[in-house]
Amino acid sequence: MAYLTQPDYVKYICSCGQLKPITSLYFCRHCLKIRCGFCICHEVDSHYCANCLENMPSSEARLKKNRCSSCFDCPSCFHTLSTRATTQQRQVLQDPAAGGDTKVESKQPKKMYYLSCFNCRWTSRDVGIPDQPVASGGWPERTNPHAARVNQLIDYYKAIAQQEKQEKIERERKKFNIRGKYITLTDKTGLTGAMARNIAGLPSSESSSSAIANFVPSVATAEVDELPEDIFTKEVNLNQITSMPQRLASPDWQPVSVSRLHPLAKLLSVKRSQRCRACDHNLTKPEYNPGSIKFKIELLAYYHVPEVKIISHEPVKPGEKTALFLKLTNPTGHEMQLRLLQPEDIPPPEEKEEPKSIDKSLERSLVLEKDTTAFKAIERQPNISATSRVTSPGVTLTLAQRDDAAEYDDDAQHDTNDIILWRKSNKLGVRLELDTSAEAVGGSPARALVALQYSYRNTVPPAPSAAACRDHTLYTTLLLDLGTVSSN
Amino acid sequence: MSHNVKILPGATVCEDCTLEGDITIGGGTVIHPRVTIIAEGGPIIIAEYCIIEEYSTIIHKKSDKQENPPKPLFIGAHNVFEVGCKLESPCGHIGESNVFECRSFVGEEVKIGSGCVIGAACRLTAPQTLADNTVIWGSDHHIREALEKQPSQLLQLDFLSKVMPNYHRLRKPNVHKRQPSTRQSTEPSPKP
Repeated sequence: MAYLTQPDYVKYICSCGQLKPITSLYFCRHCLKIRCGFCICHEVDSHYCANCLENMPSSEARLKKNRCSSCFDCPSCFHTLSTRATTQQRQVLQDPAAGGDTKVESKQPKKMYYLSCFNCRWTSRDVGIPDQPVASGGWPERTNPHAARVNQLIDYYKAIAQQEKQEKIERERKKFNIRGKYITLTDKTGLTGAMARNIAGLPSSESSSSAIANFVPSVATAEVDELPEDIFTKEVNLNQITSMPQRLASPDWQPVSVSRLHPLAKLLSVKRSQRCRACDHNLTKPEYNPGSIKFKIELLAYYHVPEVKIISHEPVKPGEKTALFLKLTNPTGHEMQLRLLQPEDIPPPEEKEEPKSIDKSLERSLVLEKDTTAFKAIERQPNISATSRVTSPGVTLTLAQRDDAAEYDDDAQHDTNDIILWRKSNKLGVRLELDTSAEAVGGSPARALVALQYSYRNTVPPAPSAAACRDHTLYTTLLLDLGTVSSN
Repeated sequence: MSHNVKILPGATVCEDCTLEGDITIGGGTVIHPRVTIIAEGGPIIIAEYCIIEEYSTIIHKKSDKQENPPKPLFIGAHNVFEVGCKLESPCGHIGESNVFECRSFVGEEVKIGSGCVIGAACRLTAPQTLADNTVIWGSDHHIREALEKQPSQLLQLDFLSKVMPNYHRLRKPNVHKRQPSTRQSTEPSPKP
């Protein structure tokens, strides 16, 4: 809860150089590195509507313009609209010939439905949408006034893309022809180019060229409609005019008047899985069911990296040594050895060049076609300007494994000493000394750097070729926010 | 308990609420427990078919330029005062079919028409007049105009007046003759 409501006092340095709290970091079990949202690949798993929880394949979602067909948002305040039912006496025209029959029918109450917003009390009746006899669906759809032009443009650009692709293929083929080394399929089988294209399922070149030829580009015009006469004299009723966010929410119509606001089809949400860029392993993978908030794979730093919290600290004074109390937690199911170090003491990461296996290089040659720049993680040195340092106590602390049952026995172990304040199952309270540089100016933010060395047992079953190395020593650097340097 | 409280037949008024001063409660109105209604500046008249929910406060404030005899605070029919709302008014008239949502606050010198909605946690403090069918919502106090009045809560009223006596001690109606002053508004019958 503290991570949600309070500022991030303790930040970890991600392997890409970003500073993030532990709750927004991931831990790749294969690279054994901390990753953050900036240095991993985000992939869309599935589209769903957050209101009706309906799943949708991506092709269908694209067809529906990433909007749900049955749920609506309020055009006035963007809250989700609810369907309300009213019983309505059926209005039957008085027909003297029908007589008694109409009376019987008019007594049957009929359920009619309309959309209503519980936040701003907007209803679909406000803009004159007739009530519907069915609870969901059937709401009138409005067509974009420029739909024809938009479709024309899409066709045109598709045709251009197609043409460029063809030209590229043609160029490739020419290259081969010059070499004269290979026999192309058409030479060998006597197929004509058009037939080959037909077999491959590509559209014939004529149709794409006709789309390009028939395209009429837009013409800019200086003539615009005159402003109405009373534009400057008529009193403005702000309640009748839509706000900018309301207009931008429906870009196809951009209504000026409140009476033209129509329900907005609800935008779909996506479930995404996240992947490490270095090793292509999944870091998170949600369950497919939109109603579920669980994950199939959930490699969060919170479950693998020791958690550090600030209990309290003395006011930070320039050039002095002050006390700092931290709580360390071991979230893993294995005992953890932990040392506090200076950031400079961290050994530089070894550049391990993997032995290139055949399939790996094959894969790389296939990937070569793609634009690899999008997949490369940019690493930078983090910008850390810390005025204080945590003095390393020079002892190794042992943290017990996480044990959910241990919550219930309340006897704290008392093997306390100068450093260890208390110890309780997988948690440890430590007393540390903070060394602040004399140059620190009073009132400036007091931040302290500390590095952690911790043992980590990898529970991933090792690949048959790799050495069975299960215990690792890992390092991470933290930045503690201790308020401001006190001036005196 | 003040003897000035007049409860008309058909009203459901819980015993566990603070009613001070000259208060008239119309028939069909439901007052939940823990409601505070204080008429220190003048009488308060609540018309028929209002719902006043828990922890709402209605105060007819004393003011310096008090008229003699003091003007009543008249609250029209079909108003809904949701949980924790507060209405402070030196005098005046509140229309019909208004909704005062949870924890809303209406200060002095605010005149309210009919069919208005004061959104949850909205505070109206500046002197102003709300036209009919005004809706105020959100932390930014957006204002819009509804096309029609808020639908009345007759089903909810029916339910409350049936259920309340099973779980709460009620104050008994003490006026058996219908007062002409509270019958001036033209209201539809309680059953739809």
